[in-house]
Amino acid sequence: MAPALLLLLAVFALPMLQYAWLSTQAQTVLTELEPQPVGLAQWQRLLQDGRFWQDAFQTLRFGLCSVGLELVLGLAVALLLNQPLRGRTLLRTVSLLPWALPTTVMALGWRWIFNDPFGPINLLLAQLGLPTVSFLGDPSITWLSMVWADTWKTTPFVALLLLAGLQTIPADLYEAAALEGANRWQSLRRITLPLLSPYILIAVLFRLAQALGVFDLVQVLTAGGPAGSTESLALYAYINAMRFLDFGYSATLMLAAFVLMLLLSGGAVLLWLVSRPRWAGGQR
Amino acid sequence: MNRLLLILWSLGPMLWQLYTSFRPNATLTGNPMQGGWTLEHYQALLGGNPPFWRYLLNSGVVGLSSTLLTLVVAVPCAYGLSRLGRKTARNVNVLVAIAAAFPYVLLFLALLQVARDLHLGNNLLALSLPYTGLSLPLAILLLQASFRDIPPELEEAARLEGLGLWQRLRWVLLPLMAPAIASASLLIFLFCWNEYPIALTWLSRADLLTLAPAMARIAGSSVFTVPYGGFAAATVLGSIPLIVLVLVFQRQIVSGLTQGAIKG
Repeated sequence: MAPALLLLLAVFALPMLQYAWLSTQAQTVLTELEPQPVGLAQWQRLLQDGRFWQDAFQTLRFGLCSVGLELVLGLAVALLLNQPLRGRTLLRTVSLLPWALPTTVMALGWRWIFNDPFGPINLLLAQLGLPTVSFLGDPSITWLSMVWADTWKTTPFVALLLLAGLQTIPADLYEAAALEGANRWQSLRRITLPLLSPYILIAVLFRLAQALGVFDLVQVLTAGGPAGSTESLALYAYINAMRFLDFGYSATLMLAAFVLMLLLSGGAVLLWLVSRPRWAGGQR
Repeated sequence: MNRLLLILWSLGPMLWQLYTSFRPNATLTGNPMQGGWTLEHYQALLGGNPPFWRYLLNSGVVGLSSTLLTLVVAVPCAYGLSRLGRKTARNVNVLVAIAAAFPYVLLFLALLQVARDLHLGNNLLALSLPYTGLSLPLAILLLQASFRDIPPELEEAARLEGLGLWQRLRWVLLPLMAPAIASASLLIFLFCWNEYPIALTWLSRADLLTLAPAMARIAGSSVFTVPYGGFAAATVLGSIPLIVLVLVFQRQIVSGLTQGAIKG
């Protein structure tokens, strides 16, 4: 057991401690890449850095929208796959494929699909006589394209988790509800969602952490553009470390992103705890 | 109808890449109905320096070595945890689950420092070290759940027969855990094959790149003027190994994903 726990500490805990220390240092080209203590100056700089706040907002916007959309679509797919359909295994395999592909591979693919005017979506729009859409060139649209690509990739993951949850719900609950005259919407609200809520919470926690750390997708799909409108906190931290060689500030940004994730995950757990008794009461 | 929609949604983008990869670049910016077919994009990729299959090979090497190393480290740990009291194990598992969901992209800067200090950069086997660390949480959760499913009487009987700990593991417990080990291995392999930020910072030599950073390098920096035929061929070649893997091992991957989340 010891080697495993040591490795876990080395990979997860030590980096966070190192960031905590590094965020009180200046380590740049100006200090000849030697760390020099600067107290809380990096944190002050962070609070006054407009690019940080913009990226935090953009990361949050991307994370909440894509996770929300993945939940809704994932639930729809899970409900579909939970029915006794012909070719269900094949369907499950097919829907799993987008999730299995490397993000950089699928991001490059989407760059071509979103192309204006030669991508398939815009070709279709042009055929219909509609104006083409600059999916990757318009700051007010590009982040939505990114949400779209992310949703395509990770909906299968959410769907599979929720499907596992659906399969734990006994069928007689639905039969009883149907006998009482409940329609499909009512049994979804009163039976499925409450009993599924622990699985929804797990899916949200997993996905939020990953979505708020979005990096591969941004770098290949948009490189943070246009006009920085899709840059994420992880990409900004990466740029600070690898391009500006500003390691102290990069570590500060990583910690700030981590705190943001903790807050949101905590919020999700809290929301679940608060909503649980209400659902349980509504189940009578 | 819904089924058709789901299939179209999932496969449509991939089929478009396949189509694009066989079209001459000139026809891609004109009428899609015109023009012929070509293999030039594939020829260029496979004849490149390094040839594209090199990236697949590198990813395979890193994936296999990381998977093996993870199993070697995770099996004893999972066994130990499964023999702890319920309460202690629950507390440890909460931490392990948090690590499993951890946004590991945030770790790259510190891990890069490690690579520099210990001269582990540009070494495919060394890359297995961070990958093993990152894959451990999921592996521990999956294997531990499987150890717990084995009735303790079975191991007790083997112990009374005079089998030592390693013999019991090797001849009694591990054979029963084959499905869980298969699921865990596949998920670890998938993770390592797809991993980007750490591979990006640990590897710089072109002939050592794994698939993910190689794709990003191929993508280059320009978003608008690009040779899309070649890109599409690269995404097709980069996807094929994984598509095969998913088609063959769909059941194990799904069970690993769902078990990991439920037990964790």
